[in-house]
Amino acid sequence: MSGALPGDLERASVRVDEEPAVQVAPLGPPLTRAEWIRRNLFSTWFNGSLTVLSGALVLFLGFHFLRFVFVTADWSVFRANLRVYMVGRFPLEHIWRVWAVTFFLAGLIGVSRGVLTPARWTRRRLLVVSPAAALGVGAALYLVRSALVWTLMGVAAATYVAGVAAGRRLGRRLVRPLLVGWLLAFPFVVVVLSFGDVGADRWGGLLLNVIVAVAVIALSFPLGILLALGRQSSLPAISWFCVGFIELIRGVPLLTLLIFGRFVLILLLPPGVAFAQIVRAIFMFTLFSSAYVAEIVRGGLQGVPEGQYEAARALGLSTTRTLALVALPQALRTTIPPMIGHFISVFKDTSLLAALSFSELLFTARRASQAFEFIGHQAEALLPAALLFWMIAFAMSRWSQRVETRVGVGER
Amino acid sequence: MAVASTARPPLWRNVRFLRVAGQIVFVVLVVLVARQAFLNLEFGVREQRLDLSFDFLRQRAGFAIKEGIGYSANQSFFDAFLVGVVNTIRVALLGLALATILGLIMGVARLSSNWLVRRIAQVYVEVVRNTPVLVQIIFWYVAVILALPAIEGGISLWDLAFVSNRGTAIARFRLEEGAGAWVVFLFGGVVAAALVMRWRTSVNDRTGRTGPRLPWAAAAFVAIALGGFLFTGTPLRGDVPEVGRFRYEGGLQVSPEYTALLLGLVIYTGAFIAEIVRSSIQAVPKGQKEAAEALGLTPRQQLRLVVLPQALRIAIPPLNSQYLNLTKNSSLALAIGYPEIVSVSNTIINQAARATQMLLLVMATYLLMSLTISAAMNALNRVVTRRGRR
Repeated sequence: MSGALPGDLERASVRVDEEPAVQVAPLGPPLTRAEWIRRNLFSTWFNGSLTVLSGALVLFLGFHFLRFVFVTADWSVFRANLRVYMVGRFPLEHIWRVWAVTFFLAGLIGVSRGVLTPARWTRRRLLVVSPAAALGVGAALYLVRSALVWTLMGVAAATYVAGVAAGRRLGRRLVRPLLVGWLLAFPFVVVVLSFGDVGADRWGGLLLNVIVAVAVIALSFPLGILLALGRQSSLPAISWFCVGFIELIRGVPLLTLLIFGRFVLILLLPPGVAFAQIVRAIFMFTLFSSAYVAEIVRGGLQGVPEGQYEAARALGLSTTRTLALVALPQALRTTIPPMIGHFISVFKDTSLLAALSFSELLFTARRASQAFEFIGHQAEALLPAALLFWMIAFAMSRWSQRVETRVGVGER
Repeated sequence: MAVASTARPPLWRNVRFLRVAGQIVFVVLVVLVARQAFLNLEFGVREQRLDLSFDFLRQRAGFAIKEGIGYSANQSFFDAFLVGVVNTIRVALLGLALATILGLIMGVARLSSNWLVRRIAQVYVEVVRNTPVLVQIIFWYVAVILALPAIEGGISLWDLAFVSNRGTAIARFRLEEGAGAWVVFLFGGVVAAALVMRWRTSVNDRTGRTGPRLPWAAAAFVAIALGGFLFTGTPLRGDVPEVGRFRYEGGLQVSPEYTALLLGLVIYTGAFIAEIVRSSIQAVPKGQKEAAEALGLTPRQQLRLVVLPQALRIAIPPLNSQYLNLTKNSSLALAIGYPEIVSVSNTIINQAARATQMLLLVMATYLLMSLTISAAMNALNRVVTRRGRR
């Protein structure tokens, strides 16, 4: 998928631009404000009372929430543990590795954005983005007190902005280097974070969630495709094996698989062979995820019309080529939205590592809330972690919606 | 033109041979890997001075479980496991029902013509769906329920329900002597209601009017239930909880862990069900509604007779997978110590160290539950589809 995606996006967007805008007959003059309110909030007595009731509920909850956030809450538990939330017990003298990775990713993301999405600052978008940005800056002003960290964050932001500018300037010429950059990004990040004397067991916080999620996604994607093809195979031995594996994995909770990885997996390997705890967790997590990827891909394969296979056969393509050149490219295009949805849930599920005492974000937050000096501030310790999870998952789901309209799923 | 060769292709190009050979190689490989893994497992287990038998399940458990069916520490590991199974079912069944109701309300709200209601439902879905369920469960447990006042200063609702960080106690009715006979009356009431419903339907069909049917049926049920209640000597007694020193006495008691797990699961799954409800209603072709309108059906009839039956058919497969998810997610109780299957099994593994057997047992149990739910949903699917075809 990653091999074909950016180019396709480009083409799809061009195609959309070329199509003449659909002319909709004007529906009369735009509604006045009073008319809009009457129609959307008080059209019937039932609707009116619903508006009053839910409005009161929103005001009540909103007031208490805002009062909590800005007045009664004491966020010092988050401020004191900010670094732990982000990177866990990553050794301080090696923290430059994390910053190096941050700069690299900021640049890469910036360039990708510049190349792929033209800037369209509608008034509505500004209206949503600017308060959020102001809140973010305000929170950062409260949380970060070190000049060094501010400088480093400034450098990261500058890298991002420069990346966007470069991406916009050079445009499609950068698609190929970008692909290479993204393919090499994960190995590069892992090497930078771990070469020398920082082992994987020192990773923690949000960093660990992201690394585990990316590793699981990258590994389970090809494995899931293989499983889906195996399930569709006309060889009974292979398809039964794949069906059994997929259904077994999907029938049990992820947590039991992770516990299996903790206690039993090591016994199945030859004596003397041992892997780090986190590697075993990633292994089990990958098996889990690949079963779901397989089901998504199967859905996509079933959507490929029979005529496509017949046409491929008529052209004399072998089975392998039919799958690789005809079936999979079409199947994978339609699976993009559910696939991203699955990747979001993989990211969310990395929080399960907390139940096995890996020091990922949720675990760190819970531990921070148990410290003696912060007793009574559990909500303040947990909410930032929840917000971090939410921001990443929400950004991914928004991105998925954009991709969905771009590749025109359901329109072809 | 050359005559087509009638000679058989060589073995390594013969598709039929290759198919068989490929499968044999695959099976042999799988068997070899599985055998090696099993041998490794046996060796490793023997090194730990353990075995692979399930006999340990009969040993005395020796640990207490806070809630669930009657059980004492003197009973066996297997009994402890059964308590876990019952506790999982207890939270999953109620969770399924409540999540469906919440999802239905929120899904319909997302399609409401009222702007404010629509926005509230959208914010709920976007916030809840994009936050990990474990974060939500732990938040409810640590930051909300355990942060409630202690038992003596707890919240009291007209002395009928009490809420504190020790849990919730609610007044309830308990069945007394004669309840069995009353249940027979209740059953008779249901049958009578069904008969009355049929009778009124046939009257409506004959006269061509749309007279009330449900009120008639309800009246029949209430009359029989009430009569039976008095006849059997009022077999219900109020059971009102009282505040003790450390715990509540009497009433229906709900532990903090159960409440947190239920809240987390219901609110999380409800958001996904809301999306399913919304998208399946939207997936019903517009022409269906327009046709219903052209036939002169009222908006309510359009929804009830035309849109919803078709939407339900679209919704059942994704709903099934959400039900499975909720059941499997109940295993997250491990993080807050509600004694369901995984939590109890984790304790057993810590005590008896037989992780392999225990995990096999746990996975088999979950598979069985998943299959049961899927079978029930498939049966429902068949019923719904058949009714649609008629």
